This record gives sequence, structure tokens and C-alpha cells, in this order.
Amino acid sequence: MPNSHNRRSFLKQLSAASIATMAAGAPIPGLLSSCSSELSSRIPATADSVIWLFMAGGMAHTETFDPKRYTPFTKGMEGNDVLSTFPSIPTALDGVHFSKGLESMAGIMDRGALIRSYVAADLGHILHTRHQFHFHTCYEPPQAFNVPHIGSWISHELGPVNEVIPAFINIGQRFDVGEGEELKAYHTAGFLGDEYGPFLIPDPTKGLDSVRPPVGMSEKRFEKRHELYNQLVSESPMGEYGSDYQKESMKASMEQAYRLLKSPEAAAFNINKEHRESYDIYNTGKFGLGCLMAKRLVEEGARFVSVTSEYVPFMGWDTHENGHTRAKDMKKQIDGPISQLIKDLDKSGRLDRTLIILASEFSRDMMVEGRPDQKVKEQVNQPDILEEMKHYGMHRHFTDGCSILMFGGGIKKGHVHGRTADERPCKTIEKPIYARDIHQTIYHALGIPPDTHYMIEQRPFYTTPEEEGKAEKDLFA
Amino acid sequence: MIALSIPLIQQILLESDPFWLWQFLGRLHPMIVHFPISLLLVAAVLEIISIKQFSSRWRSTIELMLWTGAISAVASAGMGYLLMVQDGYEGAGVDLHQKLGIATAVLSLVALGLHTLEQRQPIRSRIIAYRSTLILSAIALVFTGHYGAMLTHGPDYLTEVLPGASAPPANTAADLNIDLAIYEQDTSAISEQAKLKLLTGVRTVFAHTCYRCHSSDKIKGGLRLDDRKLVFKGGENGPVITAGDPENSELIRRISLPKGHDDVMPNKGDLLTPAQIKMISIWVQNGAWWPENAEDLKIFRNAPLAPRYPEWPADTSRFDNKIDVWVDQYFSSKNLSWDEPVDDRTYLRRIYLDIVGLNPSSEEIHQFVEDPHPEKRQKWARELLDQEESYALHWLTFWNDILRNDYTGTGYITKGRYGITEWLFKSLVDNKPYQDMARELLSPDESSKGFIAGIQWRGVVNASQRTEMQAAQNVAQVMLGLNLKCASCHDSFISDWKLKDAYGFANIFSEVTMEINRCDKPTGEMAETRLLWKELGTIDSTASRENRLEEMATKLTDTNNGRLYRTMVNRIWAQLMGRGIVEPVDEMDQLPWSQDLLDWLAVNFVGNGFDLKNLIYTIVTSRAYQLPAIPVDNNLALREEGYTFRGPVLRKITAEQFSDMVSSNFGSLFTSKEMKFNPENRDTNFIRASQVANNAFLTALGRPNREVVVTNRNDQPNLIQALELTNGTRLTQALAQGAEQWKNTYNEPEDLIDHTYMNLLGRLPLSDEKDVALQALGPSPDTNIIQDYFWVMVLHPEVQFIK
Repeated sequence: MPNSHNRRSFLKQLSAASIATMAAGAPIPGLLSSCSSELSSRIPATADSVIWLFMAGGMAHTETFDPKRYTPFTKGMEGNDVLSTFPSIPTALDGVHFSKGLESMAGIMDRGALIRSYVAADLGHILHTRHQFHFHTCYEPPQAFNVPHIGSWISHELGPVNEVIPAFINIGQRFDVGEGEELKAYHTAGFLGDEYGPFLIPDPTKGLDSVRPPVGMSEKRFEKRHELYNQLVSESPMGEYGSDYQKESMKASMEQAYRLLKSPEAAAFNINKEHRESYDIYNTGKFGLGCLMAKRLVEEGARFVSVTSEYVPFMGWDTHENGHTRAKDMKKQIDGPISQLIKDLDKSGRLDRTLIILASEFSRDMMVEGRPDQKVKEQVNQPDILEEMKHYGMHRHFTDGCSILMFGGGIKKGHVHGRTADERPCKTIEKPIYARDIHQTIYHALGIPPDTHYMIEQRPFYTTPEEEGKAEKDLFA
Repeated sequence: MIALSIPLIQQILLESDPFWLWQFLGRLHPMIVHFPISLLLVAAVLEIISIKQFSSRWRSTIELMLWTGAISAVASAGMGYLLMVQDGYEGAGVDLHQKLGIATAVLSLVALGLHTLEQRQPIRSRIIAYRSTLILSAIALVFTGHYGAMLTHGPDYLTEVLPGASAPPANTAADLNIDLAIYEQDTSAISEQAKLKLLTGVRTVFAHTCYRCHSSDKIKGGLRLDDRKLVFKGGENGPVITAGDPENSELIRRISLPKGHDDVMPNKGDLLTPAQIKMISIWVQNGAWWPENAEDLKIFRNAPLAPRYPEWPADTSRFDNKIDVWVDQYFSSKNLSWDEPVDDRTYLRRIYLDIVGLNPSSEEIHQFVEDPHPEKRQKWARELLDQEESYALHWLTFWNDILRNDYTGTGYITKGRYGITEWLFKSLVDNKPYQDMARELLSPDESSKGFIAGIQWRGVVNASQRTEMQAAQNVAQVMLGLNLKCASCHDSFISDWKLKDAYGFANIFSEVTMEINRCDKPTGEMAETRLLWKELGTIDSTASRENRLEEMATKLTDTNNGRLYRTMVNRIWAQLMGRGIVEPVDEMDQLPWSQDLLDWLAVNFVGNGFDLKNLIYTIVTSRAYQLPAIPVDNNLALREEGYTFRGPVLRKITAEQFSDMVSSNFGSLFTSKEMKFNPENRDTNFIRASQVANNAFLTALGRPNREVVVTNRNDQPNLIQALELTNGTRLTQALAQGAEQWKNTYNEPEDLIDHTYMNLLGRLPLSDEKDVALQALGPSPDTNIIQDYFWVMVLHPEVQFIK
């Protein structure tokens, strides 16, 4: 399996037919024509693949990677006194602490970079899916065009690493949940065209179903069906009914699907093939198993894999009550699998060329809602004096200071970027970094120039609005 | 040389760059390089001439040349290095030039050293070494010079004049539509009109390629090219145009630089073509003529607004259908002739899919082929149009796409969006005149308000996405074929539309007077209330929103607004023929391939009471529609300029047509629980795709999420789609269900094969095809193999296209 690809060698490997398919992929000329940067050769890539670990629902930085003063629960305590509801633990980095419950991740913090100064967008109103839309596309909804997910941009610019594996795979999000339509709105390739859209695996335990013959169909029958397809298509007087181009692109995509389903790489989707021992470490639930699948997919040549803790209103990291207990639970879900993912990729040597990023749409706080100086009307009913355990936790949305982790793919090891205040509001006080910068940092690692854009309706549409984001060079080794 | 340096010095003095001296020295590089080029070369030549006698009379001359040549070679290398660093040259060419330049300098120094030793004590072997070094340095010099020239003149500088070299870009003076020769004569002899034409040409280039960074909304380097005064004022570094002197005009220098140079303009996208550069240079040379009143000149093409009745040709009797009169005229102008119309089966499948979205059954094909009626095609088309509900359920998809109406989507959960399906369906069933439809969408009641109500996400949105602005953009795009998206944020650089125009129009939809925002920043200026075209009249800004909407609806749908009706007939034409008379269909200012046809269709549409079914009938019964479908090699080429109409485009069937074909022939893809819309008393044979909310299956097949207006679907096959079709449960189960049924209906495999071909393709299998199918099915096929055979058939490329 090739482990280092660039756009050029990728293009060379494609057959003429699939190049034709790609070339015509752009839906509407005039309205839309491809226009990637001219300067592609200028940035050397430090990563080939990306694993995007998304903590959906708002992960409090003070309860995870940027703990503050710990105040244990006592009846009648003042909410204003509470900054963190967990004690701190040391990490592999001197002087850097995590929140209790993240021991495994603390142990590997010397292998990556910790950003403590992410400032989420100010969208005037906290709505998870709006902030998620923004964080995944870099554009604020709504837009006059369907804008692409970062995975689609990457898929469009770089194509797959391994041709048979879809370039953009999205694991763990269902769409029949609350705000499902809003979730769909950013899980799209938008104007780039459907072929760059996400290959959706809502449930990693059923991932294999997406890449094997239909349920109940034997391997042999599946092969015969494909054979019959090729036979009948070649017998038909197609010349009269379609140009070679049209017929070929149809056939080529069917062939590609068949090849994926028949390929040994498809086994990457089968997490049950993993050794029991390893499987058990990852098996903390759907998210953990998603990490396992991401590892397997990257090892077989996936370009961009997103694993989400899944956004369902009031579930997961979306803690509106019982914040302490829920955060404990969530940490249990992520700590083992993420640290194992990094260790495994490090061991196999993949970490050097795989950028792993962990982020959330925004953070949380017990008292501050929205930006420190901008309250949002419909805030959670959080009493000033805590009488019940269910009020002990980070229940309000906080956008001014959040943590992001990055590992591998050329990122510095054992590096801390930025700082938040030690007293409420625990907002960013050093080196603020924004979604557009995070996006550009990822593009930079992949060698995608900052001015990459697409001409749509005769005007350039950049990967980040007005190409304003800047890759944070400090993060690179 | 001094004259040449003055502007440079001026420039240096203007800039407060701390490294000005280095930069200045760097820029002397091109001047200095000519010393070593000449001297080292001449020295080498003299050396060869005097090869027989080392101490020839040239010796002292050679020595002088060697000294000067070597020193200036070193100096040029140094200055070249400064130029590279200061002005940021990069790339493989620069690399090569640099290495060769350094090699030249080193070699010439070595030659000089050897020569000096030589003069003291001549040794034969050293003479040889010296001479070879000198010749080598001369060779290195020639190559350095060549690669240097490539950097300044472009990589094809040398080769482009060779026979067999590829032609320069096609975008030459011809499509600027300007004969540049007339400007190269005595300037006083150029007419005012010609000057204006040249200016318009220059401004068009500015508008199309420079405005995106140098106009009101984005002012890079402090330079604006959209305003006469500001053009001559220049940017941060002073004027960019020196009238009468292109050589000393920064603008000309920048646009003439090679690709990849740090200063080159445009620094994104394609460079200007040689013809465009030449045109701008000539304009500057001729004094950069730009009078004040020239501002009113329109730079972009604007299609006339009024309806137009084209003049009939002398003899129209050859054609019953008037569309063909215009197409015939078009064909003769292109020296094309009419192909034979398609056969009955192909025609029937076409009109079934186009009018009701379904495949004809084998019985219907049989009846049609056997129908003795002399005008059976017209008769059957009319009958299909009379199938009110089937027609409505098929065309619902077209209207849902352009009106972004759906059963689910963002905004619905927070009452930020309203569906209009009931209204739309009823309008289609009743064949409501388009004028009324448009009026009801623009000045709506509860049932039709969804279109202009737009989508409201919770929270603060960008000013250009307020619902009033969405309304303005969508009405402009869908009904008027006009892109206001640019102009709703800043003055457009792709059209003549200004921010004020967009706000003036949006204000009609607003409860309160809107404040103009430029690029999401309030300007303090309040919007006017007006239509996009003065000719359509005024809107009373003091009236209530309801009254304003009513007034707007009346004025926009007035028959004197030819644009509204041209836009719609062009959309319907594109829907049925695979390509509009104007493309893109949302940009009605583009040139149609036949103005007469477009204008006639529009006035005829109006004359027939805005009857959409009649419009469809007229198109599908034209000979133009009955021409064989033209395969396309490339979706892009189809919509490029210079398209020639030869017949309808071979189209891929839509997600809805495919689903309905599977559901009607085999088994239902959708459950009744999924049905979101079921008009009263409908006789439900099967659930049509337009009745269900979007789902993963339909998405994979190309049904758009209707967050934004979609007027042109992407019909490109792709992997995600192929995977859904290969192992998705929906299709698998529907086909399995069909296999059960068919097995019981057709006892003979041959029967089953014939019927599949007839139902799906509208033809019988060829004998080879039949053999393959028979062999696969065997004498007594089980449901598995029947199901697999169906799968093969529904995904057959021939089924997937409308021939």
C-alpha cells in the first residue's frame, strides 16, 4: 500500500476514464468552474491523512484539557466559586495538567500539541448546529451557496490516498436525530459536487454493511451479478444511446463500487477483525469503536476520516444538567480510544503522516453564557447557589476559550499554544486562534495552499472566508 | 540608462522600505547582466579565433574583457540574488537560472585566474585548461541568459515562434471585438467613438479580472480600478498609470510579468491574454483616454427588458410548429441540416419521462406504434399533459428545486421556514397561468408565502443573508435570471448591479426600512425602495409591506417585463432539451443561441395566457425536440460559449425518474409512512419520489438538499451513488419484491426478458442481449437470479439515459 501520495501521483494512477469523470465533476460551468491554486507546489505536505475527532455538543475546556481551580461539591455552595469540578492530574509535559479522568491522554501529551486558545465564532446566538456548521465549513450559515465540509475540500484537492477507499469518511453521526436537517446542511460537498461528499457510517459497528454485498447475497452471487452487468452492457448497442464518455463514467463508478466491495481494503471497515485485546481498549462505545475504524481506514489509505462523539440535542457533551457526572462519563469514552489511536499510529509509523485533531464547536462554563460580555437570552436555568448535584457542572455555552489537540502530521511534540485566564471568565488571554486558522493549519499540513478557491458564479470562493485564515506555523515542528 | 533609473529612484524614495538599497541593486540586475553576456562571449570568440597563437595581438583585449566580464558576472550573480530575495522570485526556472549564473561567475573567475598565471609562465596544459574554462563559462552564460529570458518573457518565449508550437491562447483581439490596428496610427486621427470602444474594452478587462480585488468592496494595495478618478490616483505606492508611457506604468509592468512572479497581476487565476495586455498598453500609450461622462457606459452585457416579436421569415409554411421556423433559420445560418426525427418508441419514452416522469409500459408502446392517427405524436403528448396528477407529481420536482421547497430541511423546526407544496401541487394540477403563479409567489397568501419568506436560522445572520435579501436574491435568480448575490454584499464585479440596487429591491420585502450593509458592515445609509429596472415603474415606499408586495407583483409580472417570461420559457426549454437557449439559465444577460427563438417562445407564451402545459406541448411536438439526442463528451463544454444547437442533449434520468421507474415496475422504494404529501383522492398505485422527504437514497442519486435554489442538477455518476445502488437496502428490497411478482406473472424466461426490455428501454432485446439474459436466467429462474437480472437492467446505462 502506498503511504505517501500527492495529487500528481494520484492523478497518474487513475485511468483515463476516471480522470474524465473527475474533470467533469464540476456541476455547472459558467456558474461554477474549478479553480484551485496555481501555487500548489510551494508548500510541502507534512501529512497525507487527517483524523478529525469531533467532541459534539460543547466540551468544557475547564473539565478536560485546561483545568482550573477545583472545588468539590457541597450543598449550598456558590456556583461562582466553581471553575472545575474535577481535580487536576499531571501530564507527560512538565507543568501541564489535564482534568482527572484523562490519565491515558495525559500520558501521551508529549507526542502532540495542545491549543488552549481557540475562540469560537460569535454567531450572536448559541445554537450547536450553527456553530458546528461554522467549525466544519468555516462559513456562517446560512449561505447563498451550499458550502463544502472541510473533508470535501480536502477530498476535492487531494483525492483519495488509496483509490478504492472513499476519500472522505464520516463516522458516528446519525441524521434522524434532533436538528438532523441542520446536521445534514454541513455534511455535504456543496458546490464541489457530490463525488466529494462524505461516505456516511452512522454506526461503526455496522460499518461493514456499507461495503459488502447486499445483506443475504453470497459472494459468488454478487460476482455473477456484476459479471452479468458487464456482459449485458457490452452487448447493448450503446453507441447509439450515449457517448462513450457518458457510458464510461457510469460504468466506471459502478466498477469502483464493486472493487471497493471486493477489495481486501474493505476489511478495514470491519472492526471485528481487530485483535480482541486491541478491540477491547477501543470499545468504550460508539465513539471508541469509531476511533478504531479510523485507525484501520487510515492504515489502508483513507484521506479524511471524521469521528464524532455524535451530536444529539442534550446528549453527549451537550450537558445542560448533571454536567459533572456526564463529563466523567464522556471522558471515560474518549480517554482510552484516543490515546490508543495515537499510540497505535505512532507504533505503525503512520502518525508522522497523519494529522489528528480533536476539537469541539465551543466550550462550556457553569455561569457565563455565550461570550463573557454578551449574554444570550435563553440560557439554562442554573441556580447561583447549588443545592443539588445535578446543578454541579458546566451547563452554559462558552465560546471565548476552548481547547484543541493536535497530533502527528508534522505537528510539534509536547507543545502548548496559548493560554486562558485562571479566573472566571476563563477566556483566552494569549495567542487567540480561530476556526479559519485551524482550517488553514490543517490545509497547510496537507500542502493545500491558503488561497485555494473555487470559482462559483464567476467569483472566487475560498477555503476560508476571503482567504483570511492563517496557518499557525508555531504548531509545526 | 539614467533615464531608465529615474522612475526607479522615484519609486524607491516613495517607499519607506528599509531594504530599499538592496531592492534597488537587485533591480539593476537585468542591466548589469549584459556586460558579462557580451564581454565573456566576445573573449571566448577571440580566444577561438586566435587559438593557434596564444600571444596574439588580441591578448591584451581578451585580458581586459576577462577582467570586466568576470567582475560583472560576479556582480550580476550577487544582484540577481538580491532581486530574487527582495522581489520574491521562486520556482524551478529561477532555481536553474540561479545555479547557472553562479556557475558562470565561478567559471569566469577560474578562467581569469588561470589566464593571469598563464601570462606569467605559459604552460601548454594550462592554456588548454584556461581555454576550456573560458568556453565553458561562455556556454553556461548562454544558458543562464536563456533561462533569464524565460523568466522575464515567459517560458514559451523562444519556442512559441517555432513551427509546430502550440497556438497562443484563443482569447485574442478577435473576441475583445476590437481591431487594435486602428489605434496604432496617429492618435489624433482616432475617432471619439473608437476611443470609447477602446476604453470600454479596457474597463471590461478591469471589471472581469481586476474588480474582485480592486473595487469598492475589496481594495488591495489601496488601488481601485472601478472609478475613473481612483484609477489615475493609483494605489499605496503611487500612480499605476503614466498616460502616454506604458513602459513606465506600474500597471503595465505588473500585468506583463510572468506567472509566479510575486508582483504579477492578476496574482490569482489566469493571466491576461497577450491581446488584452496589448490593448491596455495601447490605451495607456494613447494617453489613457477616459472622459468623465464615460461612467455611464455599461460594461457588462444587459439583455433588453421589453418583449420582442421577431420578424417572420418570408416562408413559414414548411413548418406546422413555429419553433421549427426559428430553428430552421438557425440551422441555415450554421449550414446545418435537419436530421430524421427519432422513432416512435424513442419518442414515446421521451415524452412519458418528460411529461409525467414515468416509463411507458410495453402495452402503451405497442398501442402507440400501432396507432394509425396521422398526428399521433401530438395526440399522445396532449393526452399525457391531460393526466393532471401524474403531470403535477413529476413537475413538482422541477418547481421544488427552483423554489427550494421541501418537506424537511433547516429552519422547519424553529418555524423559520414554510412549505408551499399544497399550493404548488394545486397550481400544477389546475395548470394555473404562470403569471398568476408568479404573482402569488411574490405577493403571497399563507399557502404560497414560503418562497419569499426564505429560511431563517436561529441567531444573527450575515446581512446579505437576511430573509429580505434572500427574497431579493431568489426572486432575481429564479424569476428574472439575474444574479444579485454579489450585489447584495457589495457592488457586483460580475455585473453592473450595485449594492444599492440589491437593497432597493430587498427593501420591498422588508417590514422596516433596511440599512445598507457593505460586506456585513452597516454603512449608515438607508435603502431606497425600488424595482431593479426603472422601466418597470416605481414602488410606493410609504405603503405597507403587503401593498408594496402587491405593487411589485403586478409590475414584475406585467407583460412588458419580457425578462420574466423569457426566463421561464428558457427554463422549460432547458428542462426538456437538456440545455437552455441561454446558459447558464440563471443569467439571462448571456447571449442566447437564437434570440428570435427565445423572444418568440416568450411572446407566444404570454399570448397563450401564460399556459405552461401549452408551452411544454409546443416544445415536445416541435421537430427540434424530435431530433436524435446528442451525446455530450463533457458537461462543461455543453454550457460554454460557442455552443451549437443540433438537437436535444442526451440526459441522464433524475433520482425521481429512476425511483419511480423502480417503484412502478418492481416494488415500492418508499413506505407509506415516509409519504409526506398525498393529495386527496389520489389513486395510489405506488409512492412517487416527489411525495417523500429527501433521504439517503435520493440524495445519493442526486436529489439536492433544498437549502439553496437549484436550477441545474449535477448528473455525474459517483462512487457514493454507485455504492448506494450496489448494496443499499432500498433498491435490493424493491427488486426482490418485484422478482416475486414477476416470477408469478411470466412463466417463460423469454417473456420476462422481453417485458423488461420493453418496460425499461422501450424496445425488444437484440438477439445477443437475449442470449446473454437467457443464459443467466436459465430455463426456470428463481427469484434471486430474477432480482439480480432486474438490478442489471435498471442500472443499464441505456436505461439511465433519455435517448
